[in-house]
Amino acid sequence: MPKLYIEERYCKGCGICIEFCQAKVLKQSKKMNSRGYFPPESDEMEKCKKCGMCSLLCPDFAIVVSDE
Amino acid sequence: MAKGERGEGVEPERIFMKHPMLEYLKESGAYGDRFPTIFCPGCGIGQALNYALNAVDHIVKKDKIPRDNFCFIAGIGCSARVTSHYLGFDAIWSLHGRAPAVATGALLARPELRAIVVTGDGDAAAIGGNHFIQVCRRNLDMTVLCMNNNLYGMTGGQSSPTTSRGVPSTTAPYGNVENTFDLCEMAITAGANYVARWTTAHPHQCIQALEKGIRKKGLSFIEIMVQCPTHWKQEPAKMMKKFKSQAVRFSPEKKSEALKKDQFWVGEFMDRDRPEWLETYQKIMDRFKEKT
Amino acid sequence: MSEVDETAFEPLLSEEAQKALRGPLPPGDYYLFGSDACVEGAIFAGCRYYAGYPITPASEIMEKAAQRMPQVGGRFIQMEDEISSACSLIGASWAGVKAMTATSGPGFSLMMEAVSFAVMSETPFLIVNVQRPGPGQGYITSSQEDVMQARWGHHGGGAIIALAPSSVQEMFDFTIQAFNYAEEWRVPVILLADETVAHMREKLIVPPWEKIKVINRIKPQVLGIPPEKFLPYEPYEGKVPPMPAWGDGYRVNVVGLVHHPDGNVTKYSPEMHMACVSRIYQKIEDHADEIAQVEGLYLEGCKNLVVAYGTVTRSAFEAVEELRENGKKDLGFLRLKTLWPFPDGKVRSMIGPLENVFFPEMNLGYMIHPLRESLRDRAKQFISIPFLGALHSPDLIIAKINEVIRGK
Repeated sequence: MPKLYIEERYCKGCGICIEFCQAKVLKQSKKMNSRGYFPPESDEMEKCKKCGMCSLLCPDFAIVVSDE
Repeated sequence: MAKGERGEGVEPERIFMKHPMLEYLKESGAYGDRFPTIFCPGCGIGQALNYALNAVDHIVKKDKIPRDNFCFIAGIGCSARVTSHYLGFDAIWSLHGRAPAVATGALLARPELRAIVVTGDGDAAAIGGNHFIQVCRRNLDMTVLCMNNNLYGMTGGQSSPTTSRGVPSTTAPYGNVENTFDLCEMAITAGANYVARWTTAHPHQCIQALEKGIRKKGLSFIEIMVQCPTHWKQEPAKMMKKFKSQAVRFSPEKKSEALKKDQFWVGEFMDRDRPEWLETYQKIMDRFKEKT
Repeated sequence: MSEVDETAFEPLLSEEAQKALRGPLPPGDYYLFGSDACVEGAIFAGCRYYAGYPITPASEIMEKAAQRMPQVGGRFIQMEDEISSACSLIGASWAGVKAMTATSGPGFSLMMEAVSFAVMSETPFLIVNVQRPGPGQGYITSSQEDVMQARWGHHGGGAIIALAPSSVQEMFDFTIQAFNYAEEWRVPVILLADETVAHMREKLIVPPWEKIKVINRIKPQVLGIPPEKFLPYEPYEGKVPPMPAWGDGYRVNVVGLVHHPDGNVTKYSPEMHMACVSRIYQKIEDHADEIAQVEGLYLEGCKNLVVAYGTVTRSAFEAVEELRENGKKDLGFLRLKTLWPFPDGKVRSMIGPLENVFFPEMNLGYMIHPLRESLRDRAKQFISIPFLGALHSPDLIIAKINEVIRGK
């Protein structure tokens, strides 16, 4: 199952990755990060296609998906 | 796995993987953190930076060009802030509108530098208009990346020369009375070798256009329409979806077609091989080289 | 668009190439135009980038540079205006090359933002201001009206270095010195020439090359500082930060905003602000006496002093010599070779109590202000001798001195 890595310190909760995720596996977390934003999270990573869109579209270099 | 704890000042303990483009960025320095970046949540400039770094990464790896040959040159504005202190490259955060002139000096002094001029619509079309036109005319071997959000972001949302007619802003409270520039058309008319426009909703095309532009000799102008969620007061993802629907793929056959309201052309508008400044001047310099 | 004949640029005319001088002027005596001497001095100092815009009376410097730069392996470009000319010097300097431009008053005003940026980012380059009268279009003859603008024309704080040549020889020598100052102190330097000295022809003596000192910026790689340890805005041994070139691998982010020594621009604090700006100010002003060059003659026991700089030196010195010959043995002469930083301490140490200080200037009396401030308790009277649009004649200066000394 692919692993989702979010850099909590950089995410500004813009929601672009959530909207453009091709497998629709991302959703907004209910837990705020240290800067007051709501980063994305996922409990359906088995559906992730590893398309890399989230990473490519992130303005803050805060999300990446990997096999490890 | 990386979910971690939240709360003020708590850093989660976890096995972590960094975004690949962070390799090219300075996240912190001797005098403190530089990340998270200064850009607003959802700002298209962050995305354009991501695409530019991807393009540079491809060229460094495929063409074996040394990373340290790259040089980012910016003026003033939100777009220019990418050069403030984030880049793991030689860079300069210079004067409003004058980045093409600074890049001209750098290239003439050290022609092996790959100069990427980062500019915005206000920086390039208003105060920097003449310098922008002149580097296109001279066809100097640089890449101009214009992040067009159709207003002046850093100073609070004033109209720019690319703001549409009728649209209100802080300096056009009753609606913009002016016509707009089409920066791509200006670049073509002035003489640039490669001209393309895409949006933040076209990541792969942006990266390919930037790669092609950087590789191509002569002036490459790549305009990326970016969303400014703060001043346009819309959700960033919504704005990107709007870009996608408003963008019409260009082809030479379609050129005379009229566009509907709010639509704009995207794609490669020009790809030619006019002589470039440095290679022409080199012929003159070669006259005076010692005959061996 | 018609087809361009690219064969125009093909290497040809080997005769022309053979005749060209591929380096600096060899030692010897020359009879040269002031503007040409300036370019030759720049080439000697290692300048290999010129960007300029046509303006009377500085265009000849640009034209000479256009001819010489490719001969010596440099590049020349005529930019679209003075703003872009000055801005391109910033890029060229950071790419590792000594860079210069020449202009006059109206163009100098346009360059102020670039000078301000260079002061903050500590970028060395040379601007030659071949002064002409102002304000506005003014006229196209000689002037010294931009001497204050050179120091205070750029917005914000910080300091610059400025020199004022008075002969074709000095157009050569002072240009080399200007580049040396720029490289040593990492500051933009202004050469305050004027139309007279730029447009005159005189003898130039180029000494044996080993006798001419050329200073180059200190690079961190030469000091053994690796990129990961390099702080771009941390002075080395209390003087100036070492300056790498773009492409050397130091990945330096050049900024014009107030910054920390590592280049961080977002962790603002009043302490950081004060430290950043006062350092670039003190860098020059605290070393004013070391940097400045002032020449004094007949100062021992003088009761009256004539002060001059730039081309006016010639007439002022002539006036002093004539008056002394005719009996005025208590007349001394002080010449400012550098105008900025103003060497307060040095001037005070050279000048004792006096009656009158006479200061002929091709303006309405500008440098007399810092001089008066410096010698406020030394002299009883400070008399400005203004003249606009042309060089003072020695007679004009003599007449004023006589009027003041006799006519009371």
